[in-house]
Amino acid sequence: MTLPFLIIIPLFGAFSMPIVSLLGKKIKEYWAVIVSGATLAVSAKIFYTVWKTNEIILYTLGSDSPIGKGVKFPIRIVWEVDLFGALLALTIAFVGFLAVIYSLGYMKHDTGLEKYYTLILILELGMLGIVITGDIFNFYVFLEIMSIASYALVAFRNDTWEGIEAGIKYMFVGSLASSFILLGIALLYGQYGTLTMSYLAIKIAENPTLVAKIALAFFIGGLLFKSGAVPVHMWLADAHPAAPSSISAMLSGLVIKAGGVYAVARIVFGIFNPGLHAYLRAFNAPAVNMDVIGWVIVFFACLTLLVGNAMAVVQTDMKRLFAFSSVGQIGYILLGIGIGTLAYGTKAGELALAGAIYHIVNHALIKALLFLVAGAVIHQVGTKNLNELSGLAKKMPLTTFSFVIGAAAIIGLPPLNGFASKWIIYESSAMYNPVLAAIAVVGTVFSLAAYTRVLFTFLGRESDMIKEAKEPEKSMIIPMLILVAVIIVMGLLPWQISDKIMVPTARMLEQLNGEYIMALLKFIGGA
Amino acid sequence: MIPLQFITAFLMVFMGIYAFLYKRNLIKLILALNLIDAGIHLLLISLGYRLENGILPTAPIYTGYETLKGTPMVGPIPQALVLTSIVIGVCVLSLAMALTINAYRHYGTLDVNKLRRLRG
Amino acid sequence: MKSDMGLIVKTMARATIPLIGIFGAYVVSHGHLTPGGGFQGGATIAGAGVLFIIAFGVGEAKKRINKSLYSALEGLGGLVFLGVAMLGLSVAFFYNTLWHNGPIFNGKPGTLLSAGYLPIMNLAVGLKVYTGLMSAVFAIALFRRWRK
Repeated sequence: MTLPFLIIIPLFGAFSMPIVSLLGKKIKEYWAVIVSGATLAVSAKIFYTVWKTNEIILYTLGSDSPIGKGVKFPIRIVWEVDLFGALLALTIAFVGFLAVIYSLGYMKHDTGLEKYYTLILILELGMLGIVITGDIFNFYVFLEIMSIASYALVAFRNDTWEGIEAGIKYMFVGSLASSFILLGIALLYGQYGTLTMSYLAIKIAENPTLVAKIALAFFIGGLLFKSGAVPVHMWLADAHPAAPSSISAMLSGLVIKAGGVYAVARIVFGIFNPGLHAYLRAFNAPAVNMDVIGWVIVFFACLTLLVGNAMAVVQTDMKRLFAFSSVGQIGYILLGIGIGTLAYGTKAGELALAGAIYHIVNHALIKALLFLVAGAVIHQVGTKNLNELSGLAKKMPLTTFSFVIGAAAIIGLPPLNGFASKWIIYESSAMYNPVLAAIAVVGTVFSLAAYTRVLFTFLGRESDMIKEAKEPEKSMIIPMLILVAVIIVMGLLPWQISDKIMVPTARMLEQLNGEYIMALLKFIGGA
Repeated sequence: MIPLQFITAFLMVFMGIYAFLYKRNLIKLILALNLIDAGIHLLLISLGYRLENGILPTAPIYTGYETLKGTPMVGPIPQALVLTSIVIGVCVLSLAMALTINAYRHYGTLDVNKLRRLRG
Repeated sequence: MKSDMGLIVKTMARATIPLIGIFGAYVVSHGHLTPGGGFQGGATIAGAGVLFIIAFGVGEAKKRINKSLYSALEGLGGLVFLGVAMLGLSVAFFYNTLWHNGPIFNGKPGTLLSAGYLPIMNLAVGLKVYTGLMSAVFAIALFRRWRK
């Protein structure tokens, strides 16, 4: 069984980092590369296994069965990996690996690097834990591990006021959101007496009370905070630009997805399964009405994608522009999840979920690439103000090429991977409600305006600031080129990926036949 | 009838949220976060408490448990949850204090309204 | 740098620091028998360290505390915890294999040498919490010196 190694390897790397760093100067960096590379291999293996067998892996910590002795319900912590979790684990390990390689060159001039690499491995560990866990308190623990590591990493350069201010804002907002989530967990535990997600799903369907609805509200509220939806997106626009660029790539590409959007989808579809409740309502039994929560998510999604993309247009700071664009793209993903909840069980719902999942993966790759480009520019030129960066194309052609690919992909130009996922989201929202599709397209127009502006800056007349600029070193170029290659390859096979990976993933997340619950019920039947 | 400890727990949570929204001193904000957490911990701990036949419950693990056989036991799971949550709280608290000290070094003030050099 | 604490505080600290340390060690080593455990015991021992810093000053503490040793010990505590958790990997991660048929810590429940991997884990966590909290407190105490 390879699943525990997904946690063991980064944890081992993080714990051994202080000891390893005593051995020599450069060893800690290679150690971080080795550890994150091994994590990538393990996650690829797990993804392949789950995709091949199309079955949910259920792993129990501390015993061979989650069921306690003499009782008929699960008492142990379980890890439950379906295709969605495995796909995200693969994405996280991949982008994390590239971010570590990029840090070799980018963080060369900083001190305290053993703490940096420890924290980056812990950040990766927390995200991997979130996507594989099937226990709601375990989910909270991993969420906090991830959050604390990212607070510390945002404020890593503590000799600048920028990092400290952003870190404080991020930390207060994030801790409040975590407290909401913990309150939701406490309410659910008090009402139903269990923490296993799939068993909670059964319990809630049997006896939906007011407490369950309040807990759901707390979950959605806290997770929207964490994913940076619009009324509460301000911390994101401060924290992501202030962090070192390799960390911005992980924060924007992965953290707001694993700790925000993934968790929303898992809680809505895993614990409060809309299908189960629709089924119950048909018999006039009490059930949680999931349409309300679907509309809430759709409302915030529309707000997010309009405001996020529109705010991106007026920014002069390159990284801040990318951060606002991340807010906008989160809006598309939430739109897909919301329509998937509303149109549960229909073709539109399944397509919307597939589009949302596809866009999570695509956006992780594209936004990581864009932040790595921004980091290369900052590292070589020393400024991220767009007014001072004109004419960079001649001096840094490879960097500019990477940026062009990334920008085209995030707008959704056809031969690149962003096109397919955005198209699926437009199509499914048009099938459900044409107004939503129109709003999504308006958001893309804003996004186009923002990125065109940056592109013209890069291609424009040479300014004084960039006279000395040249291409960054190899360890920074290579991760960018790998991401470019992946984006182009994924763009060449859009519908194959959609049919082979994304639609099965959406089906598994949607669990029309309750697969997530059945994986646990197998044990109860056998006990 | 809602037990008194639940009401107290929620009062603590709401007091914390009030302080979080209306106080502008960084140290007070940290205290507000801890107050919210403490309220949730009280809620969780009191979920595990039960009174059977008027006998006070004992701690789940105790060396002299043999002599106390027959007395009810408090739920062990909420205690484990609260312990984990306290550990997390300690991490957040120490990180918050470190950041606050750094902010004081850069800005010379603890007023959160003055921390506005980043636009937005 | 002279500490501004008086003779009474220093004498009392000298007397109580070993007692606090012993009590913390008791809490750690009996974690599987009585309420308490690695975190609580480690935090108690770290309390002794905080008392040391307050009573004798940061300058005295700087001579005694080796930062890289502390972070290496913290890593060691984590590694021991992880290694013990991996002992039962043939059944499951965190499987308590020592308890059922291990060579050590397999005594009757309620005795000191029982409960399988729990005492080892408590010791590891105690080490990690003590070193980690001490490093954090010490780092925060050092911050006072930003303005010369």
